[in-house]
Amino acid sequence: MHPRFSRFLVLLGFSTSLLAQVQAAPQSGGDFSNNPQPAKLPVDVILVKGAWSSASDSVTPLPEGGRIAGNLFSNPYFGLTYVLSPDWSQKYTGPPPSDSGYYVLSQIRPADTFKGTSRGSILIAAHDLFFTLTPARNTMELINYNRDSLGADYKVERPPTQVRVANHSFVRFDYASPAAQLHWTVLATQIRCHAVQFILTSRDTTLTESLIREMDKMSLPEEAGPISGKGGGDAPVCIKDFARDENVVERVEPAFAERRFNPVPVRIIIDKEGRVRHVHFLSAFPDQAKAVTDALFQWRFRPHLHDGKPVEVETGIMFGRAPRSATRPSTNEATE
Amino acid sequence: MKIVKLASILALFVASFLPGTTIAQTDPGVRGGAAGAGQPLPSVAANNPFTSLDFFNDGFSRFTEVDSVSGTIEQGAGLGPRFNSRSCAFCHAQPAIGGTGPFTNPQVTDATADGARNTIPSFITASGPVREARFPFFFNSNGSPNMNAPNGGVEDLFTITGRRDAGSCSLPQPSFAVAQSTNNIIFRIPTPTFGAGMLENIDDSTLLANQAANANNNIGVAGTFNHNGNDGTIARFGWKAQNKSLLIFAAEAYNVEQGVSNEGFTQERPLPGEDQTTGLPASCRINPTPEDHTNFNTTALGTSSDLVGFALFMRFLDQPTPSTTIPGGSASIARGRSLFSAIGCATCHTSSLTTSPSSLTTSLNSATANLFSDIEIHHMGTSLADNVSQGGAGGDQFRTPPLWGLGQRIFFLHDGRTANLLSAIQAHEGNGSEGNGAEANFDVLTPSQQQDLLNFLRSL
Repeated sequence: MHPRFSRFLVLLGFSTSLLAQVQAAPQSGGDFSNNPQPAKLPVDVILVKGAWSSASDSVTPLPEGGRIAGNLFSNPYFGLTYVLSPDWSQKYTGPPPSDSGYYVLSQIRPADTFKGTSRGSILIAAHDLFFTLTPARNTMELINYNRDSLGADYKVERPPTQVRVANHSFVRFDYASPAAQLHWTVLATQIRCHAVQFILTSRDTTLTESLIREMDKMSLPEEAGPISGKGGGDAPVCIKDFARDENVVERVEPAFAERRFNPVPVRIIIDKEGRVRHVHFLSAFPDQAKAVTDALFQWRFRPHLHDGKPVEVETGIMFGRAPRSATRPSTNEATE
Repeated sequence: MKIVKLASILALFVASFLPGTTIAQTDPGVRGGAAGAGQPLPSVAANNPFTSLDFFNDGFSRFTEVDSVSGTIEQGAGLGPRFNSRSCAFCHAQPAIGGTGPFTNPQVTDATADGARNTIPSFITASGPVREARFPFFFNSNGSPNMNAPNGGVEDLFTITGRRDAGSCSLPQPSFAVAQSTNNIIFRIPTPTFGAGMLENIDDSTLLANQAANANNNIGVAGTFNHNGNDGTIARFGWKAQNKSLLIFAAEAYNVEQGVSNEGFTQERPLPGEDQTTGLPASCRINPTPEDHTNFNTTALGTSSDLVGFALFMRFLDQPTPSTTIPGGSASIARGRSLFSAIGCATCHTSSLTTSPSSLTTSLNSATANLFSDIEIHHMGTSLADNVSQGGAGGDQFRTPPLWGLGQRIFFLHDGRTANLLSAIQAHEGNGSEGNGAEANFDVLTPSQQQDLLNFLRSL
């Protein structure tokens, strides 16, 4: 071999090895003196997520998609707008949806500018009635269950009672802790098969009542009511367990790449032709979401008819293999 | 006199302009007096079944053993090549052996013991918490964290380089200074192991039923479980409930924290991402592996490996005994207990759960474990997130830490960032945290009520 060519080969090999080092597996540590100003990680950001919410498109509103702009909380999924009391604001955002179908939609407290002496908080939350760990089938049952499972530390101040708020039917439940001298008022209604709750906590019931009066400025969809909220109108009709055999014409099981044991609750919207047009994961790892989405878009349902016409349907399906506690149906009679 | 007046005016000024800030209540601090922990379960103390107390005591001696590289300096063998400390009991020491980090951090001595030539990282101080370090992400070759390459493994603080028993082994420490300057480092402190056998013996169905019973809370909480990747059952040990059993917990800790290979983790451990042979030169792999193993041709007690001894010792440790009067007196503690439940803390910090029937010893059998935990993992938001994923737990999810024995703990939260209980409570709130509701309720309590709650917690 020509000496110059062999030197070239050696140099090439050396260069390649250098390149390989540069592109090698990332390092755990070492001497980084060649870059005295490395980039920093952002702080107070969740960069490594576990199972999290996601959706097949970014256009369809999601339950967790509410926001506060100025003094207005709005949630397009629930068709809900709520005007915050003066000097009340959201200090912190809530956690992501849970794999048991629980949403913290907003947490509102007096802002630093608040002039009043009484303090408290408003939690706006939602239970997805398709996935709740409680035995409730509707919002009325959920609040009755809330009353029945109240701990010994609390006393009931007003049993679940139907009231009108913002010209819609709600169930109201008041209880208190004598030890903490705190009062809770739960106002709940049902929208799209979710129990949407406003939970007001304060030492001062006068403050609570004034906050409730201000809730009359809220706007809600027509369906809202402790039992009645099952979609319709501009929203799809929501039907529990719609994905049972008699409604599914074609079913493809998701091909999971990795074995996991977390629950994967999924809400889907089925179009009038029986195709899945939207998939919302309340909680899933990205690989699970991809496998389930790929499968669900191949499913075919019998079109659902309402008054003889096909309508969109929203339903829930639980994928994943995590065990859950057995729940009993509520014994409380649901009335509205 | 003028100074006193000025101080009074200043105090009034602060009180007037910070109405949301309560300054009257204070953390009573680490509860003094006798350690309410560290004893064997009552049935084990009664040596029931026969010889169980001998096994507990044998486990205790193994737990307190100090390791050197080959057992020639200190009796234990297998230390390193990389390690965080030299004995289980150095870090699990407060208020008794088996607990959590002590007042004086042993890692300062570990760094240079027996001739070792380690630089002590700035986050390790004599009066600070015992810590292990992790880099959430690997680094690019230029020293910038690579956000496409999650790491999260333990970066051992020290190496055996320079020790009298380490021969020619030469290993660099990880680049802690760069990790700190790029925010690419998080810390964990030791979890106490009192009552660990009870925790191990709570059936999954009990945990699931407790989860369902708390599902309709009104404070914004909805946790989930971390599962063992193979059989799908609920895992429960470690800050993210990533370990299924005490045997696995002990095996991993022995390997990761002390560098002792064992029958659970059989090889010497390099740094995350490193190959075993290039990461650990032959000159540093001094002992045949596993270094800890079943011992043949010895007595019944001596046959077990250290690993089995550790697990048995932790399994037989009794749950801590709370004080009924200290701090603040019994009335204050009782009020604090009610408040703890009333404002929603007990939604996650479940006061007690019942164990399953046990084949080991009667005190583990259908016993009441006053653990103050649901063993679920919860989203704790951006201010506590460590961006380390373990099993099914993401970077912001943590197991509800059991609070039994909290009264005698020195450092709080997963990274030991505070020794002030009030700060630890306040750290439960932040963007994305399930703790916001309970913390908001805590904020509206009167200073006197908050003091009762602090007293209750310090009585545990």
